[in-house]
Amino acid sequence: MEEKTIENLIVLLSKKGINTSKVSKDSIQSFISEHNIAVEFDSIFKTQQNIMEKWQINSRIIHFNNLGIQMPNGNYGVEYNYSFDDNFLEINNLESFNILGLEKVGLKFNQTTMTIKGIPIDSGDFEFDILFKVIGQNDSIKDNIRIMNFVVNPDPKSLWKNLPSDREAVFWKEDDYSSFDKLGEKSIITCSKRGRSHQNVGSFRDDHEAYKYYKKTGWSIVSVSDGAGSAPLSREGSKMACNSVIEYFDNHLSFRDLIGFEDEIENFSETKDEERWNLAKTKAVKSIYKSITFTHNRIHAKAEEILKETPLVFEQKKYKYPAEYFHSTLIVSIFKKFKIGYVILTFSVGDCPIGIVNQDRSKAKLLNWLDVGEFGGGTRFVTQPEIFHSDRMGSRFSIQIESDFSFLFLMTDGIYDAKFEVEANLEKTDKWLEFISDLEGANETGVKIDFEENAEESLKSLSNWMDFWSKGNHDDRTLSIIY
Amino acid sequence: MRRLPVYFLLDTSGSMKGEPIVALNNALSGMVNTLRSDPQASETLWLSIITFDAVIKELVPLTDLQSFQLPEIICPESGPTFTGKALEFLLQKVKRDVKKGDSEQKGDWKPLLFLFTDGKPSDVQAYNRVIPMVKGINWGALVGCAAGHKADDERLKELTDTVVHLQTADSNTLKQFFLWVSDTIEQGNKSMGTKDQITLPPPPSEDIIVV
Repeated sequence: MEEKTIENLIVLLSKKGINTSKVSKDSIQSFISEHNIAVEFDSIFKTQQNIMEKWQINSRIIHFNNLGIQMPNGNYGVEYNYSFDDNFLEINNLESFNILGLEKVGLKFNQTTMTIKGIPIDSGDFEFDILFKVIGQNDSIKDNIRIMNFVVNPDPKSLWKNLPSDREAVFWKEDDYSSFDKLGEKSIITCSKRGRSHQNVGSFRDDHEAYKYYKKTGWSIVSVSDGAGSAPLSREGSKMACNSVIEYFDNHLSFRDLIGFEDEIENFSETKDEERWNLAKTKAVKSIYKSITFTHNRIHAKAEEILKETPLVFEQKKYKYPAEYFHSTLIVSIFKKFKIGYVILTFSVGDCPIGIVNQDRSKAKLLNWLDVGEFGGGTRFVTQPEIFHSDRMGSRFSIQIESDFSFLFLMTDGIYDAKFEVEANLEKTDKWLEFISDLEGANETGVKIDFEENAEESLKSLSNWMDFWSKGNHDDRTLSIIY
Repeated sequence: MRRLPVYFLLDTSGSMKGEPIVALNNALSGMVNTLRSDPQASETLWLSIITFDAVIKELVPLTDLQSFQLPEIICPESGPTFTGKALEFLLQKVKRDVKKGDSEQKGDWKPLLFLFTDGKPSDVQAYNRVIPMVKGINWGALVGCAAGHKADDERLKELTDTVVHLQTADSNTLKQFFLWVSDTIEQGNKSMGTKDQITLPPPPSEDIIVV
């Protein structure tokens, strides 16, 4: 003990520049005992230790104040449950830890379990006080305070507005449309609704649909089109696309072509002569091809005309040709009942599927292929000249014979994206059967379409069904069901 | 579900120190708040923040807006601006993150890139080398933002046709710019031709010029 005090004294003096090598040990010892130096050194060491402890506490507080505390964001109305790591207190040298004020957003912090729980009742960016003590701080000292940020996302459903579209605007179109009709022995129920993404900003429905039954010949035609979201006047483009293709069959001799093709079908029914069938196919495709070029040219001519009359309308974005303002996809189905069964012709450009389900609902088939780009939303339009120059043009037409069918569906991607998600699912019978069950009530809201019911009821239910919620899928929705 | 991937490449070189970096942090925070209240963005938007100075940092990997937490962006005292290296890094990320559509998988919306700088690339060779590769990505929009008088518009124009020049990197201008960015992002999920880019909203003020 004594030796230690001597050593401490010598170190101290030498630090102060006093050399003690020539001072006798006796005189040092007597200095120590006379002035109670051992006690003084004790006191120095205690003070030093005290300072060190304070330094440590201070460092711990600084460390914790700078620590990014990242808890997952909350979601309005959705249960929140977050536990801090078991060793959170230990790692951060914490004596105590508490979060104040969480109650105002509907959450509660449990200090024992270190858990935040509850259902957020408010959304936004919040700041909460964290009260904490680090190891070494005694109980009598006040807690340290730091701020913690916490985000609660609003309920996406509450964010959607429903602004009316401007009725005065050029090419205004009604927001929702639905209809029921007879197509010979079959019925058609159609509903087209403005998507939430359009409701939210008061823009127009870009989808369109049309159909016609020709009593004289027994042919039916159904068309559905989706106007490109990026094309300013596509609401009119989709309308022109749907109507022009029907107009062609109204006003042109094409039904005579189709009748010529009917003879081939009848002949094929009798003889099963493949050559007759191939001839029928060629004639049919030729006829529809003409209706599609007619439609394409019609939209281009109309666009040129509008550009001449009201050039101002075309100032929203650059274009190579004015029909770009009307870019729209198009699917068409033309069918008639023959002795041999239903002959169904289709044409398609874009990303809208045509599907058919057989009479006993045991087999479903996709009748077209979809133009799906490598990125979302990228597709092709009937307004694009390049589709006519592509090798794939021929494959856009199809013809089949079905003894009968339970459903023939034409839909835009607003339905397909949400209900089938990817193209591969459109090839699967069970996905189509699931889709039918969904229509018939197997869905979250329990909306049910009874196809046997009267037209008015069916229409009402279909319109309700069309409002289904699907995260991220808020495009226009159009569905034509032939049954 | 289709995601809308949006990348921010932010210059944090020494010259951003002080008011500009504070302004940038505030502006980003304002933008994220605006986007959170946009229903379309709240369901589909994915954000990534990459900063570049002498080092390239992926501050936030591509994260959905609902889970996204904005970190504080800091910058060193001084040092070079490795824009080229940053773009190389970004390319790898985009190639890995962004989902292309096929019959089994829903493709993302075309990705958007906002490159924000207050200077010019220090690594010109790397920058020139990477430009054609960046252009090769089918972007929904590629916006170069040159902030302040030292920013090099011409260099950015080699990268993209859409260069926005901010007269100053002060708080008000940055705030307006990033609100314009959120408007642009809201255009990002619309159907379009396979080669089309999105139409940009008009610039919000005289201090922001599309060059």
